[in-house]
Amino acid sequence: MNSATYSIAGGDYENGGAASKRLKAILKKVGADPKAIRRAMVAAYEAEMNTVIHARGGRMRVAVDASQVDVVVEDEGPGIPHIGQAMVEGYSTAPPEARELGFGAGMGLPNIQRNSDRFSLRSTPGQGTQVHFTVYLTPQTAAGAAVNSVAIAPDRCRQCLRCLAACPTGAIRVREGGPRILEHLCIDCTSCTAACDAGALGLGADAGRERDAETVLVVPGAFLAQFGPGAGPEQVLAACEELGFARVRVLDAWEAALQKAVWAYAQDESEVHPVLAPVCPAVLNLIRLRFPSLLGHVAPFLTPWEAAREECEAARMTAVAACPAQRTVLSTPGLLTRLDVVSPAALYNELHARLGTDAAAVPPQAGRQASACDALQVSGIRHVVKVLDELEDGQMPDCAVLELFACDEGCFGSPAWTEDAFVARHRHERSAVVPVDGAAGAVRRTRPLTPRGGLRLDVDMGRAIEKLARIDALTRALPGRDCGACGAPTCAALAEDVVLGQTDVRACIHLEPGPLEIPV
Amino acid sequence: MRADNLAREIGAELCSAGAGEMAEIERVYAGDRMSDLLHEVDDHTLLVTNLAHRVLIRPIELVDVAGICLLNGATADPELVAAAAEHGAVVMVSPDGMYETCGRLYAALEGRKAGESRR
Repeated sequence: MNSATYSIAGGDYENGGAASKRLKAILKKVGADPKAIRRAMVAAYEAEMNTVIHARGGRMRVAVDASQVDVVVEDEGPGIPHIGQAMVEGYSTAPPEARELGFGAGMGLPNIQRNSDRFSLRSTPGQGTQVHFTVYLTPQTAAGAAVNSVAIAPDRCRQCLRCLAACPTGAIRVREGGPRILEHLCIDCTSCTAACDAGALGLGADAGRERDAETVLVVPGAFLAQFGPGAGPEQVLAACEELGFARVRVLDAWEAALQKAVWAYAQDESEVHPVLAPVCPAVLNLIRLRFPSLLGHVAPFLTPWEAAREECEAARMTAVAACPAQRTVLSTPGLLTRLDVVSPAALYNELHARLGTDAAAVPPQAGRQASACDALQVSGIRHVVKVLDELEDGQMPDCAVLELFACDEGCFGSPAWTEDAFVARHRHERSAVVPVDGAAGAVRRTRPLTPRGGLRLDVDMGRAIEKLARIDALTRALPGRDCGACGAPTCAALAEDVVLGQTDVRACIHLEPGPLEIPV
Repeated sequence: MRADNLAREIGAELCSAGAGEMAEIERVYAGDRMSDLLHEVDDHTLLVTNLAHRVLIRPIELVDVAGICLLNGATADPELVAAAAEHGAVVMVSPDGMYETCGRLYAALEGRKAGESRR
């Protein structure tokens, strides 16, 4: 990887673009595709000129490898008070001298977004603005971005088929060689990992890199409630602070900031009700896949982990991910994102040793303030699907904001934890670890969520329709017991697999011997 | 159409010498906002703009501009011309304003295409 930092002088129109020019030299040296170079240059030059026009000064940090170029442009400037407005084409606060030179058309930020594959914008009024974008240099990089993070250990599979029934999107097949996940259907929730007792489907374990005095540890609030009645969240947080990290931050801070922002959005901005809060990345995947008509209900903010991730460009971060969806969100950053994702188990032993086991139960602390917003929390994937189904049918629940979580009791119900969801939630709620982390903020989503296409039956639409008819007919010929013995969750899923050539119809154990009669 | 022939057809003066003159121009984009120009650039597009300032050097250096046409008989900055020569872009100066220049460019490019299709 090739990386460099260039400084940018504010107000120096004459030299504006010098940093981008040096980046171009690197890209040409590595032999990047001219089209990718052009996109990177448009984005880099726009970002650089924004610093020249609006700020006292700043810097461009770049990193290049064979697959992508990652750029952060940060400035010490006035910041952007309304990021939503700044992203609107034509909105500009540039001074007249910039406009005379053809800048300040209000197209800069939209242009950066259009010419990059990943884009984020963070700004603190009075302090500065940071633009981070990535341009993929090869089509393969774009296609290879992580889709899901459920870890599979096929040799542990006992073929119990519980995962088949548990998966809310029918994404699992259990055939010879253990479970297989169809990526285009998987929403990265924890249903299958919670159902699997054998450990064939799980979260994956990794110990993480060496920790140092510059790394910030970020843990979900639920993590602090996993160490028994004798170790309240305060004690666990204190123990975490002794682990050798520069600082420990709790994800609750970003969750609280998001909740506040969504509530304000629901009251002042949103034209549709209720507003869906982007709290759980697995639920967002579900909406994109199954309920795309509801995407307009989702408040335009990043999920808490995504918002936290945007801050770790300044300091290295170790994140404790509680579920596959969080892991996926955290593991698709650019080269300049200094982030290390670990599973909770990586820290359990060490913390248990520090906390001991025989302490007396911690008495309840002064209660947390009840939230003032009219939000309805729904947790557990079955309930979430039901509520979304009703919402799609036009049945509006009586609330302004809907917070949907794939796991029971929200993030307390992830199978990654050792404590029961209700126990952990209670312990968390009676503690006094209130998020006072002023730095954590809600981050506006700059790129709208898009529907996720399922599988196309065929690239040719005529043939796809033909296949659809065959799937239909075959489904009717199957017994309709949805027993799962064939390895597919339903008879319809088996029919689809057969027509797509993935398996043989004889995988069905209920079919009579002899030729199969398919009704037309 | 080749850039040098196009310049001759619209009565523009060529300011840069070199490979840029041989560039094949297939389309024209006219505008005075830098973001628009950057967004429309490719190696077969001639940019027509009232911006005659040296800031135009950057688009020439950073994205592969095929050519730039300045307007109203503006004086092309020597550094701009030098940058264009170095990066294989053509710089031409039209004696007319944007409306007339774009009219002539349209007639030259589209008229020729229409002539070709009739044949």
